[in-house]
Amino acid sequence: MKNLLKSRNTGLIAVLIILLVIARFLTPGMFTSTSLVSMLQNNTIYALLAIAEMMVILTGGIDISIASQLAFVGISCTTLACSHPGIPGIVWVLFAIVLGALCGALNGFLVGYLHMVPMICTLGTMYIFRGLAFVVSGGQWWFAAQYEELNGYRTFAIGQFLGLPIILWITIILLVVAGLFLGYTSAGRRIYAIGTSRESAAVAGIKEPKVTFYSFVICGAVTGLAGMLYTANYAIGYYGMADGFEMTAIAICVLGGVSITGGKGRMDGVAIGALIMSVITYFISMIPGMSVWQKSLQGGIIIVAVAINYFTEQSAKRQALKERSALI
Amino acid sequence: MSEYILELKDVVKTFGGVKALNGVHFQLKRGEIHALMGENGAGKSTFIKVITGVHQPDSGIMLLDGEQVTLRNTTDSAKLGIAAIYQHVTAFPDLTVTENIFMGREIKNKFGFYDWKTMRQRAKELIQPLSAEIDVNKPMGNLSVAEQQLVEIAKALSCDARILIMDEPTASLTRNECLQLYRIAKDLRDKGVSIIFITHRFEDMYELATRVTVFRDSTYVGSWDVDKITNADLVKAMVGRELNSMYPEKTAKIGDVVLEVDNISKEGYFKNISFNVRKGEILALTGLVGAGRTEVCQTIYGIMHPDSGEIRLEGKKVDIKSPIDALNLGIGLLPENRQTQGLVNELPIYQNVSSASMKQFVKGGQMDVDKEMENAIALCKKIQLKANDITAPPSSLSGGNQQKVVVAKMLSSDQKVLIMDEPTKGIDVGAKYSIYEIMNSLACKGYGIIMVSSEMPEVLGVADRVVVMKSGRVTGEFGDMETVTQEMLLEASLKEREGHK
Amino acid sequence: MPGSNYDRDLSVKEGFVLKKFLVKWEMILVYIMVLINVLLAVIKPDLYFTHGTVQSMINAGLDVSPLVLGMVFILLLGDIDVSVAAQMILGGMVTGLLMDKGLPSLICVIVGIIVCMLCGAFNGFCVAFLEMPAVITTISTSMLFRGIVEIVLGENSLKNFPKWYNKIGWMNIGGIIPLSMVLFLIMGAIFIFVLHKSPFGRKVYIVGNNPTCANYSGISVKKVKMQVFILMGFMAGIGSIFFIGRMGGGLSSSMGTGYEMTAIACAVLGGVSTNGGKGKMWGPIIATFIMAFLTYALGLMGIDPNTKKIVIGVILIVTILISTINKQMIKDIKLRLFYHNNKNIEAINDRTAAAVKDMKKQIKELEKGNASDKAAQIEKLNKKIEAAQKECKEKSAQWWAEQQENAKKAKERFK
Repeated sequence: MKNLLKSRNTGLIAVLIILLVIARFLTPGMFTSTSLVSMLQNNTIYALLAIAEMMVILTGGIDISIASQLAFVGISCTTLACSHPGIPGIVWVLFAIVLGALCGALNGFLVGYLHMVPMICTLGTMYIFRGLAFVVSGGQWWFAAQYEELNGYRTFAIGQFLGLPIILWITIILLVVAGLFLGYTSAGRRIYAIGTSRESAAVAGIKEPKVTFYSFVICGAVTGLAGMLYTANYAIGYYGMADGFEMTAIAICVLGGVSITGGKGRMDGVAIGALIMSVITYFISMIPGMSVWQKSLQGGIIIVAVAINYFTEQSAKRQALKERSALI
Repeated sequence: MSEYILELKDVVKTFGGVKALNGVHFQLKRGEIHALMGENGAGKSTFIKVITGVHQPDSGIMLLDGEQVTLRNTTDSAKLGIAAIYQHVTAFPDLTVTENIFMGREIKNKFGFYDWKTMRQRAKELIQPLSAEIDVNKPMGNLSVAEQQLVEIAKALSCDARILIMDEPTASLTRNECLQLYRIAKDLRDKGVSIIFITHRFEDMYELATRVTVFRDSTYVGSWDVDKITNADLVKAMVGRELNSMYPEKTAKIGDVVLEVDNISKEGYFKNISFNVRKGEILALTGLVGAGRTEVCQTIYGIMHPDSGEIRLEGKKVDIKSPIDALNLGIGLLPENRQTQGLVNELPIYQNVSSASMKQFVKGGQMDVDKEMENAIALCKKIQLKANDITAPPSSLSGGNQQKVVVAKMLSSDQKVLIMDEPTKGIDVGAKYSIYEIMNSLACKGYGIIMVSSEMPEVLGVADRVVVMKSGRVTGEFGDMETVTQEMLLEASLKEREGHK
Repeated sequence: MPGSNYDRDLSVKEGFVLKKFLVKWEMILVYIMVLINVLLAVIKPDLYFTHGTVQSMINAGLDVSPLVLGMVFILLLGDIDVSVAAQMILGGMVTGLLMDKGLPSLICVIVGIIVCMLCGAFNGFCVAFLEMPAVITTISTSMLFRGIVEIVLGENSLKNFPKWYNKIGWMNIGGIIPLSMVLFLIMGAIFIFVLHKSPFGRKVYIVGNNPTCANYSGISVKKVKMQVFILMGFMAGIGSIFFIGRMGGGLSSSMGTGYEMTAIACAVLGGVSTNGGKGKMWGPIIATFIMAFLTYALGLMGIDPNTKKIVIGVILIVTILISTINKQMIKDIKLRLFYHNNKNIEAINDRTAAAVKDMKKQIKELEKGNASDKAAQIEKLNKKIEAAQKECKEKSAQWWAEQQENAKKAKERFK
């Protein structure tokens, strides 16, 4: 019980409940099942990107190219699907995952094997993927009308299964699978291991380049999937789409308790973080005149979240010192 | 089958041009405890990393059961039954005890997922006989050093090690913990495990080992049966010359008290520490690693701030908020770790030398490089720095000469008190001697010197007075250096506080 | 002090060496710039004879230049600031709003710059005192700052800026020398002085290379970080003048996105390491010009601004990769490719190579001299070389075979 109270997730859930209560009073129509579902559906892309980003942040790196990757993969799927309208949607889902994994592999190779600084490397590839998105699309925009003509392209986002949109099922399943992967497989635990101490990892025989590489590949694959689902969900595609989404993904991770220096953080925290973020975005979209506040609110949330992390760590340190002084 | 379970011949390993191992031999018999001794920097730690496959040797061969093996990484050595407990605990502080024990050899269920339940159970079973108090679900970082070491032993046991290497396991343990460790080591030996026990302490060797091998300055000196070598011969083998000629004659005149530390405490680090230093005096602050000596020095230098108590310089109370204040008052610190705390490896020597006294080289808003170089050359000549020229980076120097650069940096502005934290750690014997000479000549100039050191012979050879610390408290002070013995110091540094478990 | 037989000359022996100077990164940048210009002159020969083209190339690329200068200091600390573009826009907005109110232009400009410095101070506070990672801090503050601009301006744009803004963006002194270039070079000179001559610059290098050591040397790391971030804010304020001038005296909330990346790219291209502590000031100054020529040249070749991003991204990654290539890396690659990861083989090859080199030198000296048995000695040495090389080859082959044998055994054992 004591542990439960202390846990960060409990605090996050409390914040979530408070937000929902406030939302209830500010926007009375919110608690219908349809509006809740649409809130989740509209923000699920953020959750997917947060899963992807988390893989890299846990190793102690960062990937700021995911939004560009998303645009590149989404646009590539759209362009190809439009020129081959007969191919079923599932193919494009798989294609997106593979293409995304390739993008991630490029980052992973540069960071893992050529030892580039993740921030700078992904800064470079951010440019490259965004540019490629333009080249592939030729600057063209796609809208709902064009997407509707494609055979089953949109099904994977907006199709219904057991009363929920499929995109939500995909997100939920991915959250669970990624959580299991990180918690219960050697590959997943190795990601934590290199994030917590590279030196110890080397002594324990963990190959750091390899782990970095596959964490980026997983990140890319999930991002790729998100790219295809983005176009399918919103039925819009252009080379500049999802601009700045990487920041939101990072914000969700930090909010969910993922340490930016690596090695710490759990999937359940990220899931709750994503929920909080979607409630806030929903708020903003519901209240007239609030949309301009979105950016500064998100920015403010990250700073406050990191600052809270800092202060909790400080107090934990003080606590540890107190425990130690009993031995003196 | 060969008599030896493990043999190494002519092993050479270099790091960036510096030979860490130079043609080293080693033979380990089946079921013996073999002590490996040598001073700091003799190459012991590198040697075990070669055995465990962390480092691949540049040349030389390794025989296991008489058969040549090549280790590609630590997984290979683990599979062959070689396990090591390193000096600096190499754990994952954020991961749990269970996970640390099973890192690399996790137990999985039939779906390929981790079986946390079984792992926890196994971990408990492994830890229980060693220490009943360790919670296997706690993050490793929350345990004490001794507990972490026990976890490392449990980890070694979990992979059925045939060869167990322990790198200075007793360095930061209490007397009781040491006894417990001896018991565990003997148990393992009786079960047929061959143990390489690296240590500084003769006590450990006599207690446990049947044979001993000595390294000095990265080279192999020899192997002996423990009962056939005298203490004096062993010391000679380790340091390369007779003990009494290792320290220069003391010539300084001791004057008035210059620095007084009165009853300072810092929560979690130390409590009620009092001592003083006189002009021209070398005060040794000794005790085991982790006794709080470094923290006391850092507090005097303004890196940390005391919760209570006061520091007086020449009788006046001083308030030191940061190293800037300390330097302005005339208190210098030669930090414990020269690589991370003392040097900027990328900048030339002369810039390193002037980095703590930059103000005096500013002329008209810019750095007066000529004056900086002049000053650095003068200082470096005084301390006999062996470098190509003054613009070379410190990374091109040997450990001893790097330490001299840090000394020069501290001498670049006038000091009254110089604190030297482990000034001879990891440098060769010749360089040690010249560091002692520098200390001596500074004392002659009227500096009060506080030397932190873990090496008892050094303390006895250099200091005028000794203060011993244990677990954040002063447990002994010895003024008459003629009568103090190593045993007395050791006893004080292991003394348990009354009413404490 | 210790007296016995110590005699060493520590003074600087090696003076200026042309060979080393010519392969410095800064010089390589100069070559690249010349190369780009030559290529341009070949592809579009009329360019250099049309009045004003080169000038507009420079003018177009220099609106980012103040940000580059500030960014060098930030990167030297080992930090990063991706909020500079947002700071720049925020500062510009404040100036514009005050101008709308009818205040004297000088005050408006100064207040704008001060706002930018406050932004920088906020970043600095978070990074230095709250020990937040600079990436996260500045990512979020960039959203915060730009968010504020969006809240205040919405879809509107500001048009009322001092007249002399435009001159910085467009004027050429005497019709030939771009004003922006002159200002940039003056600022560059000041920055070179500050970084390489002043005690502050020295402190930045020390903190960037080893903050712990800086602390132990009595340098306040927090203070230095704070100062550098405020300096960055100041340069963002200056940047807003250049930027708005270049944009023709207008400002809206969505302008200047990606300028922070261009600034970082220029600094990194100029040889400044993102790990901190490494790099010189003149590199980024040259790199800014390269970037200016490059972007304009790509534009002239009909490549649109979005495709240009690919080129910039590739250049960024490739230059960083080139700068990480060093002797150790080449040695590692050699070890892996030629010596089968066997250090014994590497050692004997290195030893033999050194010995052969030594003997070849001896032969050369013999050839120059006129000893009586010159020919015989040379013959002898040549034979020696051959023998050494042969032995090296044989030994290598033997060891390689042994290694393969071992690997096989190891594989079986570990199965």
